[in-house]
Amino acid sequence: MNVEITDLIRRFGRNQAVAGVDLDVGTGVFGVLGPNGAGKTSLLRMLATVIPPSSGTLRLLGRDPRSYPQRRQIRRRLGYLPQNLGYYPGFTVAEFVEYFALLKEMPPERVPTAVAVAVERTGLGDKARAKLRTLSGGMLRRAGIAQAIVNEPELLLLDEPTAGLDPEQRVAFRALLRDLGQRATVMVSTHLVEDVGAACSQVALMNQGKIVFCGTPDELTAQAEGTDAEGDAPLERGYSAVLAAARTGTGAWS
Amino acid sequence: MNLGEVSRPRDGVGGAGGFEGRLEAELVRVVTARAAVSPAQTVTWARPPGRVERLAGRLLRSPGLARALVTTPSLLMPWLIASVAVLGAGAVATISTGKPMVALLAPAVAAAGIAYAYGPGIDPAWELSRSLAVSDRMVLLVRALAVFGLDAGLGLAASAASARAVGITFGWLVPMTALCCLTLAVATVARSANTGVGAGLTGWALLILGGQASNGRFTAAIGDSGLVLPYLAFAAVCVAVALYATRIPKGTR
Repeated sequence: MNVEITDLIRRFGRNQAVAGVDLDVGTGVFGVLGPNGAGKTSLLRMLATVIPPSSGTLRLLGRDPRSYPQRRQIRRRLGYLPQNLGYYPGFTVAEFVEYFALLKEMPPERVPTAVAVAVERTGLGDKARAKLRTLSGGMLRRAGIAQAIVNEPELLLLDEPTAGLDPEQRVAFRALLRDLGQRATVMVSTHLVEDVGAACSQVALMNQGKIVFCGTPDELTAQAEGTDAEGDAPLERGYSAVLAAARTGTGAWS
Repeated sequence: MNLGEVSRPRDGVGGAGGFEGRLEAELVRVVTARAAVSPAQTVTWARPPGRVERLAGRLLRSPGLARALVTTPSLLMPWLIASVAVLGAGAVATISTGKPMVALLAPAVAAAGIAYAYGPGIDPAWELSRSLAVSDRMVLLVRALAVFGLDAGLGLAASAASARAVGITFGWLVPMTALCCLTLAVATVARSANTGVGAGLTGWALLILGGQASNGRFTAAIGDSGLVLPYLAFAAVCVAVALYATRIPKGTR
């Protein structure tokens, strides 16, 4: 398992953002769904080693991130796209991706090719020399995805990756996710149910800091059977059914 | 996006026969067709590192740190030109008025440069930088030392040009250290470079005016040897504050 989480808790003052999560995730694309404030971003930030847990244990790629040498080894193998990724407006796309490749301690001789591949894979080949300040929101998001995948990460964490992408880009991005998930653990936090349905082999649904469902998208869809849950698509109805059950304390999933 | 490898969406997306399923299938068809028209080419856009970056890479033994160093906002050419202009004007003023303007300006210039070297509120990709193998503290240290060293060099050159170097070199280097540490600490705690610069410049102005008020010399802040130890102690406290502010928070454990 590339991600092993046991009773993970993260508090910010009196607020408990993540309230005791247990999860094991192996290779594949794993979706983390949930409403705003469910704790998805806090969970991903802990997995990205940006913030430490308040309590509980966390092992990433077989290593303990509390130890600095092991954390450094994890970070070399990690790709992370934060929800709010800042950009250097004076950098070109290629410079931006190259900068993070170097700070991920990739061997310098591998960097030029890795940058080119990452930029091409995100469909920014014709914008590689364009300054970031000239790009649209969707293109900036793709530049962010390019820096996340430039080191061919074994653990890829993407927080709302499809925000700002148009439908065509989202379809292509899901294909990229499926491809990456064949060799790495890809965790995608999103509130877009259709992204999970199209790209993820496993999905967890978070509510109020806890995981209230974990299974396949088909199993999530099946949660709507026999309920009057609302939604435009079967998966959305499953999502709504699980959330409604969690909120009323009648959830059957364990 | 790796367009040639776009595959069919999973069954059950929005219902296999539903509108969303058909839309997804149609979009896959469009993307695949586009990929066939313009196959992706792997072109490299590598920018060969300049001499300074190569030298820094060798000294620091890290190409990543070297790239971080040469992209420091307060080491970029516009900033350097502004620093040279300010200190040059100070040197001219020193020569024409006989007052040590360079000694008063150099700490302020360096302090502003330090505040804009790195940190939350300055680095747009701060969140991401905290997940990278090259630690953000190391980047901060390297950048701060580089800015300090460069501005100290510029200040010394301006002092020498205005024939004031010998008597007051150490007089302004020590307060410059304290002032740089103050702006670094405030910028880090407040997560704002502007706040750091504001605190540094205000503190420096108060110190100069305080010297003027207490003993009639506005150069007391740089000429009073009794202030050296307090300056250094203050700098140490500010460094501790900056380190505390950039620590990884331990939550409530």
